[in-house]
Amino acid sequence: MKFFKKKCLILLLAAAAAVLMTSCSGLAPDKNSDKVTLSVMGKESDLNKSYMTKIFDLYEKSTGNKLDIMSFEDSEYETTAVRKFAKGDVPDIFLHFHNADLNRFNVADNFCFLNDEKWVDDLTDGAEAYCRDKDGNLLGLPFWENSVSGCYYNKTILDGLGLKPATNQAEFDVLCQVLADTGYTPICWPADGCSWMAQFGLDPIFADDPALLERLNKNEVSYADIPEVNNMVNWISNAADKGWFGADYLETGWSEISPAIASGEAVMTFIWDTWFDTDFEPGGKYSKDDFAVMPVFMNTADSGTYEGGNLNMMMVNKNSENLEASLDFLDFCADPENYNKAFDGISTVNCFKGQTTNIQSKPVIDAAASIAANERVSTAASRINGYSADDVAAALHDMLSGKTDARGCIKRMDEYRITEAQNQVSDEF
Amino acid sequence: MFKKNKFGKIITPLLLCLLAAAVLLIGIAYFNFISKKIYEDSTDHLSEIYDQVNRSFGAFVDRNWGLLESWDEYFAKENPDPAAVSDFIAKEKEYWGFSDFYFLSGGEAYMTASGSAGTMDLGDAKTNLTEQGEPIMAGDTPESGRDVIVFAAPAAPGSYNGFEYDAVAVSYNNADMASSLNVDAFSGKAKCFVVHNDGSVLLSTQTGGNVFENFLVYLKAASDISPDVLSQIGGDWQNGRSGLLQCKIGGVNYCILYQPVGYQDYILLSAVPQSVLSAGFLSVQKVTMNVLIIIFLLIGAAVIALLILRGRRLSRLNKTELRYRERMFDLLSNSVDDIFIMLDSANHNVDYISPNIERLLGIPLKDAQADIRVLEKCALGGDIVIPRDELEAIPLNGSKHRDYEYMHQSTGERRWYRMTVYHMSIADVKKYIIVLSDRTRDQLMNQKLQEALDAAKSANEAKSNFLSNMSHDIRTPMNAIVGFSVLLEKDADDPDLVREYTRKITASSHHLLSLINDVLDMSKIESGKTSLNVDCFSLPALFEELGIILMPQAKAKKQTFKTIVKGAPPEQLVGDKLRLNQILINLLSNAIKYTPDGGEIEFIVSELPSPTPQFAKIRFTVRDNGIGMSEEFLEQVFNPFSREISSVTNKIQGTGLGMAITKNLVDLMGGIINVESAPGKGSTFTVELTFTVPDAEEPETWLRRKIPRMLVADDEEDICLSIKELMRGTGVDVSFATDGASAVSAAVKAHKSGSGFNVILLDWKMPGMDGVEAAREIRAEIGADVPILVLTSYDWTDIETEARKAGINAFMPKPFFVSTLKQTLEPLFTDKDGTAAERTAEDDKVMEGLRFLVAEDNELNAEILKELLGMEGAECEIAVNGKEAVEIFENSAPEYYDMILMDVQMPIMNGYDATRAIRSLEHPSAKTVPIAAMTANTFAEDVRDALNSGMDGHLSKPIDMAAVKELVAKLINNKNNSGDGPKNENGGD
Repeated sequence: MKFFKKKCLILLLAAAAAVLMTSCSGLAPDKNSDKVTLSVMGKESDLNKSYMTKIFDLYEKSTGNKLDIMSFEDSEYETTAVRKFAKGDVPDIFLHFHNADLNRFNVADNFCFLNDEKWVDDLTDGAEAYCRDKDGNLLGLPFWENSVSGCYYNKTILDGLGLKPATNQAEFDVLCQVLADTGYTPICWPADGCSWMAQFGLDPIFADDPALLERLNKNEVSYADIPEVNNMVNWISNAADKGWFGADYLETGWSEISPAIASGEAVMTFIWDTWFDTDFEPGGKYSKDDFAVMPVFMNTADSGTYEGGNLNMMMVNKNSENLEASLDFLDFCADPENYNKAFDGISTVNCFKGQTTNIQSKPVIDAAASIAANERVSTAASRINGYSADDVAAALHDMLSGKTDARGCIKRMDEYRITEAQNQVSDEF
Repeated sequence: MFKKNKFGKIITPLLLCLLAAAVLLIGIAYFNFISKKIYEDSTDHLSEIYDQVNRSFGAFVDRNWGLLESWDEYFAKENPDPAAVSDFIAKEKEYWGFSDFYFLSGGEAYMTASGSAGTMDLGDAKTNLTEQGEPIMAGDTPESGRDVIVFAAPAAPGSYNGFEYDAVAVSYNNADMASSLNVDAFSGKAKCFVVHNDGSVLLSTQTGGNVFENFLVYLKAASDISPDVLSQIGGDWQNGRSGLLQCKIGGVNYCILYQPVGYQDYILLSAVPQSVLSAGFLSVQKVTMNVLIIIFLLIGAAVIALLILRGRRLSRLNKTELRYRERMFDLLSNSVDDIFIMLDSANHNVDYISPNIERLLGIPLKDAQADIRVLEKCALGGDIVIPRDELEAIPLNGSKHRDYEYMHQSTGERRWYRMTVYHMSIADVKKYIIVLSDRTRDQLMNQKLQEALDAAKSANEAKSNFLSNMSHDIRTPMNAIVGFSVLLEKDADDPDLVREYTRKITASSHHLLSLINDVLDMSKIESGKTSLNVDCFSLPALFEELGIILMPQAKAKKQTFKTIVKGAPPEQLVGDKLRLNQILINLLSNAIKYTPDGGEIEFIVSELPSPTPQFAKIRFTVRDNGIGMSEEFLEQVFNPFSREISSVTNKIQGTGLGMAITKNLVDLMGGIINVESAPGKGSTFTVELTFTVPDAEEPETWLRRKIPRMLVADDEEDICLSIKELMRGTGVDVSFATDGASAVSAAVKAHKSGSGFNVILLDWKMPGMDGVEAAREIRAEIGADVPILVLTSYDWTDIETEARKAGINAFMPKPFFVSTLKQTLEPLFTDKDGTAAERTAEDDKVMEGLRFLVAEDNELNAEILKELLGMEGAECEIAVNGKEAVEIFENSAPEYYDMILMDVQMPIMNGYDATRAIRSLEHPSAKTVPIAAMTANTFAEDVRDALNSGMDGHLSKPIDMAAVKELVAKLINNKNNSGDGPKNENGGD
């Protein structure tokens, strides 16, 4: 017993000494070391994604460098980041989607163009296209869950009705009418606050005609001048009038999509594949396995369109003292070994050609050929100056609720866009 | 008649209802017939159309297969090179419209004319092609994703570009194929499919493309077709049978027709909404029905419109006629004073009432229309306007009348009506016609006649009484005068008897004179010739005069006569003093006359509130405790010639005109007179008159300077307070005591304190120590310097000597007035200067030495006047008429006559003309000589006429020498003062 006590005492002392030595080494880093600490700024929810924390851990452990994670509440992120940039407090690594808000951060002056990085060839076409600006410069490394947005439909219902998915706009319209005639709500159109719907229709217009996009961004044309925009808005108006959105679509928001789809009340909706992993709530009559995807038809592309994912990009501060380390960080992230570790088991469409450990959704795999033929990069949301999905949704809501007609809706879309562009101090406005 | 009308009222709507029901039933039957016919025709039409479609499609299929066979023969025969094949196919493609051409091998692998190779999936048809060598039609979905239809036919084995083939084929895009099946007959709304016998869709005519994978599955899921029927349909399709059915898809009725194409297992299927299918027929049906309905409605509307128009026209005519009649009747009734009313006999509601009810009775038309019982409000005497039971008791075609007195609700005017109620039947409805016939004029005329008759009787009676009274009253003094004149002649030597007879003759003469004056006054008033002579007068002077006249009468009857002033009435008033005097003398003399010896008479003067200070409203109250009057007599106390007949009054002389004159004078002055009386309890007459108050004079200063402090003693505190109130404006400090002892004490105390009173005013009759005794004691204490006055409403002559001995300086009559006080005090203060005492003596000799010219046509009067003037030391010359007076004066020396006394009514030339003539003379004294009228005409207008003619004053007959002296003194004095003779003033009376 006495021996046991003595042995315990020795063990405790040894443990205490070990802890003390460890602590001392932490408190007094080696001043001659070339290890660096990189600052990474992003939204709190973004930085807390599992694949993000995993890649950060991998980096720190592998390189011995440190990452100073600067995370901000989602709602405050844009404001806080803009304020910091204005003070010259630019992080080494900056996470942001390629959307209109990015214009606030003076991209050309603050960030490196990554056109010549070695990992560029490994990017999938969609991901690469997303990250390039209007001049073709690659702004960042897309390190994010990728997805395919399209018209996800209840295949079980269609099969049960002896119907098949549409391959063109006319067929889609027929399909909607047949579904409506049969008593279904053809499309779940969440008009209350769900702002992404219209951008799927706008993508083909500007993705297929970059010159038109440029003229729009130079304020040389407006939505009202573009026939396809008119076609789209009129189609939405007509679809609502024909009952294709059901009865309560003006009050339908984000939380009502899943019940409507899962119950079979609505047959189709314009959404992205990962939504079925993140937000679809099983428990209704149908599960996510009952769904397949076909292109979105909004009367702007006869063969329909898919939208590639909106990706968070890792952008590098070109003026940073840690520029080299920052670029090395991106190289680390773009290493197939590393990103496959990070995305292991994550449901996402590939951003990298070498992605193998992620899980791709069955609808996307089944519609691979159609997606390959009709996918377009998210153009409207990321490339149109002053574009605000919420503004467009608000204008459409006004039209759908009878406050204005299609022409008035387009006029408001233009007004909102121009106002927002002016707020962004766009030179063209 | 009644039954016929009732039946007539029912039959028309009954017939209309039957007609409408018949039309409705016919319409429904027709509609059902048409609907059934339309459905049959529609389905026949559908079958015909799709037979035609089927034949067209068959021709299309046969054509393609024929082409393939012909091309195969061409290829086999010509063995063209690939370039030639390509050109050939290109040309054929352009001509026939197929999308591509294939060389097939084993029904799967293909090579196009351009050399592209691939595979196609022909499904089950592949077997038919490869094994049975039949031409086929099948669907395929090439890599483009767009559905195509493939027509293939066996071919002679050959090789193309090294590709070994055994069949040839062409493909059509679905849309191109669909156009060949499109059915325009249904506006493009019909869906047409070519399906396999299992329901899978080969092609569809739907605009935009086909989204149906399997139509049988779709029908199963989306339609209301039962599983049995679906099974039957499946069987039909498997066995190549045609069929027609109806079903509902998504709430829409469809007509579904199917028939085998005749090739392989294909079924031509059409689905047409029934609404579309029957649209044409339905439109015919609808148009027909609509036309019928419209025709029916138009006829109905026309009938109704005609009925309404007829009804309206009749109604309008009736209403117009009714309005005309009502209007005319309204106008008629407005022009007469009769009221017409029509009541419904069942409920007594007013059907009509003439609008003149508002004018004649002051009842608003609406009120009367609402309830006829409103008439009861107007009926005087509490009459119920024809009670209901009485009204209902009137037999049909009978009538009843009754007279009513109504009072106009607005004006209070009374009107008399005869109400006649007729009970009659008008258009089978029983009505009461009420006519209120105005009898007011008749009634009033009757009343007036009655009143006139009563008045005539009364007047006759009054005049008889008057004549009787006058006969008695005039004869009485006349008897005395005549009798005593005889006695005077007889006893002329006895001076005592002569004086006694003379005194009685004088008294009788005065009484007779007053009788004559009253009669004349009354005559004047009744003829409306009386007018007022308005001038400023002194209220205290008036009271003094009243006291002088009435006090001796009261004293003679040992009556207590009190004059009381309440408040502070203005001392100077503007009004007709003479008429006021007459009113008050009448009242007061009556009070004295009809109050027994030892009675009490109160004369109370009080000022009533007046709206403006420019006017004073004075109430004169004469109260006595005399014999009073009966209630009956009170009603006619102000009527002329009215005297209450009693044992007492019979002994009192009177004309019965006094009160009538008084009442008329009060009325003339705009006042009111009231009387309260009871037999044995006395009477109270109240006269209220309004006078103008002359502009205020300068504030009194003399009194303040002479008597800064005054002591008043009266046992009636009200009098003390009244005096204090009256003295308020003078600046004199007034103290008072309510008994003699207190007055003595106050006076002594003040004297000893060095601030004694400057004048002491004592009531004569105070309980305990009276005024005289109090004066004596005051004199004993304070000496003789302070004036002591006695205030009394009694004749003080009896105590004057004793009072003066006691130290009283002067007497003041009640009521107290400031001006009276001043007039009383002035001599006391001026006596010290020795000027006042001489004035009375001079006044007494005012006539002495004067020469009068008297124009008097009555010799006796002239003689009397001459004697009277002689007694005053004046000379007198008589002219018998105005002309002689003028001549005498014209011929006189200047200033020869001091004054002319001119009778007015004279022969040859009256006094007015004579005066004007004198004033127009060149005589030096013509303008200045005083001329005074002497006339029995004593009214104000007589005075005014006199003055207007140039006279300077007026004396009433019989001549009172005191009045003559007063006037003479005034005129002579004026003449002397002005130096150029008297002026026309309203002075002298």
